[in-house]
Amino acid sequence: MKWMPTCKDATELASRAMDERLPLSSRMGLRLHLAICENCARFNLQLQEMRRLFRLETAADDDAPGLAPEARQRIASELQKKLGS
Amino acid sequence: MNTLDAHTWLTDHGDYLFRVARHQLHSDELAEDAVQETLLAALSAQARYTGDASPRTWLTGILKHKIVDLIRRNVREVEIPRDTEGEEAIDSLFQRDGHWAEPLRPWGNPQAEAELGQLRRVLDECADRLKPVMAQVFSLREVAGMETEEICKELDITPTNCWVLLHRARVFMRRCLELNGFSKAGAT
Repeated sequence: MKWMPTCKDATELASRAMDERLPLSSRMGLRLHLAICENCARFNLQLQEMRRLFRLETAADDDAPGLAPEARQRIASELQKKLGS
Repeated sequence: MNTLDAHTWLTDHGDYLFRVARHQLHSDELAEDAVQETLLAALSAQARYTGDASPRTWLTGILKHKIVDLIRRNVREVEIPRDTEGEEAIDSLFQRDGHWAEPLRPWGNPQAEAELGQLRRVLDECADRLKPVMAQVFSLREVAGMETEEICKELDITPTNCWVLLHRARVFMRRCLELNGFSKAGAT
């Protein structure tokens, strides 16, 4: 029985752990691997950092381009159509 | 609430809604559609708006549903790409025995606004390079924060497919960010 995941397996587990609670045996295997493998520990941290940055961005991204004037105009006239109907 | 509000929504929140949508849909055109559908839906539903939440929060809630609708309509069939491209890209990062082929470099810890701005551009560029299906699943999970169960249900894919897509997308994104300066930006 494989009691210790390889790095490749560990990255899959680390990714999955971002989405759901792993079964106990996988969780233990991953924890053990991360404790002794610097690269995978780093991979795991970077997945979490990536999530933090993405979610941060949604809230804070005020300098990204907004609606193009033509699109704004088009939407305004669609709204007007609906208001008039 | 009177009917003039619909135009006020567009003026006050149009850009915000567009940015949120653009960030998740990776397409100007789809994001514009999402904003339009959101405001039209809001207009129909305005009688149900109680004023408990701010208009922006209320509109953003509607937008989230519209984004999922648009993704569903655009992903006619969600299939794990049969090609081995994603698989090979992952394989190439590891030796045959499953160890990393190259050590991973640490990322910096950018705090300054300018650095964050630069990172945002890299994030968006990398996300735009993902295959469409992967980009959408990734966005719904990592950007919108939807639960995987919900994503599977919305897109009608199995949990395993969902998870494979997410894993590949994450590995791709991490690598893309590393290759585009994340490992250097502000590194200590």
